[in-house]
Amino acid sequence: MESNNKGSLHPLTLVTNEAVSIFKNLGFEVALGPEIEDEWHNFDALNVPKDHPARDMKDTFFIKNKEGFVLRTHTSNTQIRYMEDLVKSGGNPPFAIVVPGKVFRNESTDATHEMQFHQIEGLMIGTDITVAHMKGVLLEFFKRFFIGENVDIRMRPSFFPFVEPGFEIDLKRGEKWIELLGAGMVHPNVLKNCGIDGEIYQGFAFGIGLDRLMMMKYKIGDARFSYQGDLRINQF
Amino acid sequence: MLISYKWLQSYVPSIPSVDQITDLITFHICEIESVEKISNGDTVFDLKILPDRAHDLLSHYGVAKEISSLLGLQFKEIEYKTLISKATDLKIDIETKNCRRYMGRIVRGVKIEKSPEWMVKYLESVGQRSINNIVDITNILLFGLGQPVHAFDLKKLDNSHIVVKNAKEGDILELVGSEKLKVTLKSTDMMITDGKNNLAIAGVKGGLLSGISDDTTDILIEVASFDPVSVRKTARRLSVLTDASKRYENDLSSTLCDKAMQEISSLIFEVCPGALFEEIVDIYPSKVDERKVIFTTSYIVKNLGVNITDEAIEKILKNYNYDFSKSDGGMFEVSIPALRLDLTGAHDFIEEIGRAYGYDKVIGELPSIDFERKDSSVWGQISLAKRKLAEDGYREVMTYAFTDKGEVEVLASASDKNFLRNNLTDGLKESIRLNTLNLPLLDMKEIKVFEIGTVFVKDSEEIHVAYGDKKNVVEMSLEKFVKENVPHEFEGRSLKDSSQGPSLGFKMWSSYPFITRDIAVWVPINEDKEKLKNILKELGTDLLIKEPTLFDSFEKDGRTSYAYRLVFQSYDRTLTDEEINPIMQKISEKISSLGWEVR
Repeated sequence: MESNNKGSLHPLTLVTNEAVSIFKNLGFEVALGPEIEDEWHNFDALNVPKDHPARDMKDTFFIKNKEGFVLRTHTSNTQIRYMEDLVKSGGNPPFAIVVPGKVFRNESTDATHEMQFHQIEGLMIGTDITVAHMKGVLLEFFKRFFIGENVDIRMRPSFFPFVEPGFEIDLKRGEKWIELLGAGMVHPNVLKNCGIDGEIYQGFAFGIGLDRLMMMKYKIGDARFSYQGDLRINQF
Repeated sequence: MLISYKWLQSYVPSIPSVDQITDLITFHICEIESVEKISNGDTVFDLKILPDRAHDLLSHYGVAKEISSLLGLQFKEIEYKTLISKATDLKIDIETKNCRRYMGRIVRGVKIEKSPEWMVKYLESVGQRSINNIVDITNILLFGLGQPVHAFDLKKLDNSHIVVKNAKEGDILELVGSEKLKVTLKSTDMMITDGKNNLAIAGVKGGLLSGISDDTTDILIEVASFDPVSVRKTARRLSVLTDASKRYENDLSSTLCDKAMQEISSLIFEVCPGALFEEIVDIYPSKVDERKVIFTTSYIVKNLGVNITDEAIEKILKNYNYDFSKSDGGMFEVSIPALRLDLTGAHDFIEEIGRAYGYDKVIGELPSIDFERKDSSVWGQISLAKRKLAEDGYREVMTYAFTDKGEVEVLASASDKNFLRNNLTDGLKESIRLNTLNLPLLDMKEIKVFEIGTVFVKDSEEIHVAYGDKKNVVEMSLEKFVKENVPHEFEGRSLKDSSQGPSLGFKMWSSYPFITRDIAVWVPINEDKEKLKNILKELGTDLLIKEPTLFDSFEKDGRTSYAYRLVFQSYDRTLTDEEINPIMQKISEKISSLGWEVR
């Protein structure tokens, strides 16, 4: 029989596992969090106030008959939960976590937008963690992820309520720069909201779209292929 | 926000070229969505102004200030005409806490005409149609300075009296604009009234009746500051999102009103030199305090990770025209300009200094961080379960969390599937059905799939594992699966990471139907097995979507029978039997010519 009966993993799992493995190598531990989240962990604690235009930056699914709950719009909710738990158990920074997981946006779908997609979020907090460290970690990540290619990154000013300063990070593969992720130094309000002293501790956070990485790595042209239960995508 | 290069140039006469400005904005201010040269000779930038700077950069004034400060170029303030004003009867009362300031001024004897050419061009650059001189001036203020202003036809008011107060529940107002939109108000909506009638929804849009028309002669200018949340709630509830409401909801400094009143008065005087200006009435209940921020050079260095000097910081602050003092040890005390509402603490100066200095000067370095790592046990379980199922011959799929029935519903989905799945089985069965149709394309004997993901039941969510085939699908919690199905020796081994090297390419599938043909051939027993396969590949043409699959073979009387399945599919059309039959015919002929036999 030539037809084989080997199992296989979804390319998104392969990409997620690889990203996690690189970040673990760079000193991060893996944390997970819930997909239905209260507004405190998804918004307020992340310095996204109610009735503020910053809240519109994400198109949110609200849960019916469960006021104050949403489908998480990012895996950043887990930052907050991790830090709250750390403080509750008497712990302190330093720490570094990555959070892979599914997130949701209430928007119409096309080849690059899905209502559900996957993110890996990173958070590193210590007494002396800098923007230079953020750049170092992200550059090293992309060097390992796109191994054998010439890659570089650059930072542009941007805004996300939970960081200050905030950056858009562009990745260069070959001669082309593409906008790839958001990052920044964690806003002191976010640390404060979790009970961590922002005068002593500082660090960075970032969020990378895993579907996007999958599409880039495997040259898959349409984000929607991922979630159709179609085995033709398991080619790797 | 559309920004005109020529309009910027009016503030920064020595502004560099479009190309240079494009880079400057991108790497030091904000993202540019597009740069377009337009037919009136101007170049227009579409800037993505984010909420932290929407209070001052949704304006040419604000963007020009940034450019001149970053480059240390001279900034040219508009020179206002000196006006002589007469006593006024205008009375303004504020009866709500959501109006922070209201400045009014009556101007009599204006003439509604066409606007001067420069105004028409500026407005055209930012996509606004010229209407008449007075309406255009209010738009010049909106897009130039970033302050919404409004002009009422004074004669349509009951008397020279403005009262800012909340609407009566159920009031109806017809708004200006071609849509003739009538809105029903709530008691939480802040209104501009003349004491009797509603004239405008504060910060959102004016009413039709009090609007400027061709025979307007006397006007009342409104320059005001409103609470952002109040304006936002009303605008959103009514779905009347205007350029004015967008600016108010992002918070505007009340101090901007002074400048705006001077500028609008000056512009009206310019287009209507015969107009008579009355005194400004300024009700300003909540003045803003002066704000100061203290930071040190070492704080900036400690956050950016760049060795920036006191002198470099001093130069940046000077170019930005900050009022500041510097003391020993690199400590800076900065008076925050009233318009910079985003600067609230030392942390904001990491960005303010960093982006002016240049983020390209940040050199990446790897941190060393020491703490006790403890990966999520759920993550470990997911990895184990996936590996176990893959080793047992199951292939992983992912399906949608959204379905058309379930226990948890989301509000206002962009799709028709408003529920969250409460099981994986339904999705997996659908996946099995779909993949079974494609079985000949998949190199599998039978479809065996699994999914691991979150399901949502009333008041909780749980990670499930589901796996199965055409006959049966099994679903259980992740914990139970790992406990019952993953042997201990599995745990030490790590899951294979992503595949092989960098140059992997995904092969897109065709969306046209495929055709399968089976062929069995008797071949002498000592014949090279590959020879038949190569003939099939060669004569099967490019329409063979995959390698021929051997699905049966046996030996008898010195010969071997090989049975192959051929799958034909085109990327650009539906194949027909008429197209495939000749291919099969050629294959048979070739086989006969070798003395083999098609069974």
